[in-house]
Amino acid sequence: MTEKNYDVVVVGSGIAGAVLAKVLTQAGKEVLMLEAGLTAGMALTPQDDYENYQSYLQRFYETTIKATNTPYPEIEDAPSINVLDIQAQTPYETGYMVQLGPLPFASDCLRAPGGTTMHWLGNVPRMLPNDFQMKTRYDQGVDWPICYDDLVPYYEMAENEIGVAGDVDAQQGPDMSRSNYGPDYVFPMDKIPQSYQDQVWMKSTNGLDVSLYGQHYTVNCISMPQGRNSTPNNDYRYANTVWDPASQSLILTTTDENYEVVGATWNSYTGERCEGNASCVPICPVQAKYNALKTLKKADTSKLDIITKAVASKVLIEPKGTDVAGIMYKAYTDPDSIEYTPHIAKGKIYVLACSAIENAKLLLASNVANSSDQVGRNLMDHMVLLTWGLLPEKGYPYRGPGCTTYIPTFRDGEFRKDFAAWISPIDNWGWSWPTFAPGSDVTNAVIDNAMFGKDLRSHLNADVPRQTLLHFECEQAPCADNRITISEKYKDHLDNFRPVIQYDASDYMRKSFKAAKHVSDQIFAANNIEDHTVYSPTEADYVTWDGQGYTFRGAGHIVGTHRMGSSADESVVDKNQRTWDHQNLYLVGCGNMPTLGTSNPTLTMTAMTYQAAESILKQLESNN
Amino acid sequence: MNAIIQQRQGRKRHKRKNHDKCYKKCGTIRSVKDLRRHLQTAIEIEHATLPPYLTALYSIKEGTNAFAYQTIQSVAMEEMLHMILACNILNAIGGHPAVNRKRFVPSYPGYLPHSSDAFIVGLGKLSPDAINTFLAIEQPAASGSPPQPDHWDTIGQFYEAIEYALCHFDLVTEGGIFTGDVSYQLDENDYYGGGGKLFKVCNLRDSIVAIQEILSQGEGMSDSIFDSDELFGEAVDIAHYYKFNEIKEGRRYTLNGTPDKPPQGEKVDVDYEQVYNMQPNPSIKNYPEGSALWQQTNDFNKTYMALLDSIHDAVNGNPDELKRAIPLMYDIKYKAIALMKTPYKDGMTAGPSFEFVR
Repeated sequence: MTEKNYDVVVVGSGIAGAVLAKVLTQAGKEVLMLEAGLTAGMALTPQDDYENYQSYLQRFYETTIKATNTPYPEIEDAPSINVLDIQAQTPYETGYMVQLGPLPFASDCLRAPGGTTMHWLGNVPRMLPNDFQMKTRYDQGVDWPICYDDLVPYYEMAENEIGVAGDVDAQQGPDMSRSNYGPDYVFPMDKIPQSYQDQVWMKSTNGLDVSLYGQHYTVNCISMPQGRNSTPNNDYRYANTVWDPASQSLILTTTDENYEVVGATWNSYTGERCEGNASCVPICPVQAKYNALKTLKKADTSKLDIITKAVASKVLIEPKGTDVAGIMYKAYTDPDSIEYTPHIAKGKIYVLACSAIENAKLLLASNVANSSDQVGRNLMDHMVLLTWGLLPEKGYPYRGPGCTTYIPTFRDGEFRKDFAAWISPIDNWGWSWPTFAPGSDVTNAVIDNAMFGKDLRSHLNADVPRQTLLHFECEQAPCADNRITISEKYKDHLDNFRPVIQYDASDYMRKSFKAAKHVSDQIFAANNIEDHTVYSPTEADYVTWDGQGYTFRGAGHIVGTHRMGSSADESVVDKNQRTWDHQNLYLVGCGNMPTLGTSNPTLTMTAMTYQAAESILKQLESNN
Repeated sequence: MNAIIQQRQGRKRHKRKNHDKCYKKCGTIRSVKDLRRHLQTAIEIEHATLPPYLTALYSIKEGTNAFAYQTIQSVAMEEMLHMILACNILNAIGGHPAVNRKRFVPSYPGYLPHSSDAFIVGLGKLSPDAINTFLAIEQPAASGSPPQPDHWDTIGQFYEAIEYALCHFDLVTEGGIFTGDVSYQLDENDYYGGGGKLFKVCNLRDSIVAIQEILSQGEGMSDSIFDSDELFGEAVDIAHYYKFNEIKEGRRYTLNGTPDKPPQGEKVDVDYEQVYNMQPNPSIKNYPEGSALWQQTNDFNKTYMALLDSIHDAVNGNPDELKRAIPLMYDIKYKAIALMKTPYKDGMTAGPSFEFVR
């Protein structure tokens, strides 16, 4: 399609791709972005953008069984994972992912303009310093080639870009205090007010003593930093991340003005504050929640070309040597047709930014960057144990965004030698995740109990507002056999590979489920919460440990398929996120993370992307 | 687009009034007390545009007329900003905005407060007539039009008189007139989601910037269809009059558009059929007391009054109160739409009446 030779070719328009496009074009570099999804999602005029977003909302409202990708178009030519396809019995090959098992992988991402930030929740806690040294500290997994302090300046850039609302002083827990952030640091916006339900929870949970294997822990509940608009913090003074040619580095500029709240992409007056619509996942109706299109809109569009409906299919290598020569992509017209035209995108530097799943698939399909045999391996996710019950009083879930409070108590400790750490968000969505409430409450009452009219109303009014959920996002340790592969047997409409997944929960994880449930029991007891948790052997991802059964769920945190490391024989990218094997090929995204920590990974991944952008700019400048 | 921004930034904007001439141009504004009274009128004018705009906006059936919806909504949001900016100016010179009294609430159909009574404003569904009225409201002043503190022809001329009076009385008053309690000022932390960045008014310069913001968003700069929003960190935007003209003409302006030519950009669809067929100028008096529609209308009016009470408190020393007004604004929307879905008579539906009630 285009003969232009760009400075950088970026594959994917999610948050990593968008950050690169913004930083690189603002630094004067010519960037080509390839996006597999539909053109409408990239609409740059307010009118088209608004209408497209309304169509997303319409689809969400009209669909009976709502999943994380429900609002967004399903495209045969660039399929996304649908979590409703997940089955208990492996192996199976229905849906986009081929699941070899023994357990099904239960998370998804979105292949569309804006990527998974369209449906993400927006929780953005930082990782802890110890998370970067799991091998040294706890003899688990691997150490990162960088440490927490290396990442701090880039965390600040990521928090600036996402527009984090939160209270730094509240971030207190194991391995976490004011010192993680520096003496004067504040987030761009004040914390989102903690929900009424959180206040109910906190009464008996804050300061609670719980015991676990003979150790005592004091539970505390703190506000969750999130990528969601609130009131600008008057003390925040950072403006924008820019390339400083003199120091050959990215710097955060300062300003006397208050932080500029970024509203909806179609109208800056919409979504300037979170309105508590409570449908953050899968879609914020007003775009008060951050999404990557907000960043992409700030790119210098005179230096950015975006090609949509372009599915990257192969990374091409120079016939002589190891440099990447181009990226072959298949351009489709009709999103469900098998017809396409192949093109080659050319640049000086190439960056894959299309999710841990698609990046790994693309590398495997191209047989590049894999001298370590690590591509596709160490697939990780937070394995989520849910516990749910009825509060003794009404907590009124669904008031406010999905999560405003979390328990950091088990994010770090000596126990990580024995079982996985976890973060516990206090969710604001009642039993909707485990039981499809409140819809299922209506169905059960009407069909099973023949209720209607006033009886039905008073039944729902008595129960649904008391429904409450606690959740335990357990840090999955890296394991070489949890992996994505490809096979000639499994191709999609455009003759691209489908991901073939092998996945299991190690004893380290199962032991963590038991510990988490034990902690949950004590917290429930202290709050007089009537436990309604049920783990059924017929569910997907039901596992046993020590004679008890547990069901874990996917967190949507797909991490680790092309990890970074300090040596070429055990990692795919170096600490600059450049592939060891190809000097002009970078990988960005959660796939680079060697271990997961207990944070929702987007913030850390975005910080790493700023590091990658800096390395790319340095490389471009040194070649000039 | 960059060329336009540069050109506009290059223009000299907040030109200082020549103080010698100010007094003559103040007209009937003869004292600071008069000035406060006129600023109260300014608040009333800004507010009086909102029920008509919101009624037309909410008459649009869900999922239709995206362009008209977005356009009218953006104008209404800017009017809310203007109303609060006018409150800030009044507070800055030691006045006390009154936004929840009986006489603050206009009756429809009627004239805009203190205008030359040239056109009547009513409450009705989105229609070509409604758009014509909106164009009259936002009509730009002809170049060189005199300031008009009373019986104004255009809102611009009215504000021009206020601007002269602010300059004059600040100059001749010992210690200036901007002596109001700064804690009464609302700013961007209190107000959002509507029309631009709210800022505190603490001195003459702030007050002139505020008036320029109000005028340029409304009628446009004198020789341009654009408003001045790039100064406020916003995207290029066109002024209200021209926004309504786009609806009327069914066509967008281009970036080269000028006031003397009709819009020449892409076509936009405006479907006047996809609108609730609302009885014009509804009133609670039309319904038997205690009837379902009477109750529904009364409930709407009570919500409207609660909103005005909340705004009144916010601009009289309790800025936090504005946060509590937000759910009420949503209630206004939901209840207005519910009324417009309720059949009344002759194939028409009921509608929001925006009446004073206690």
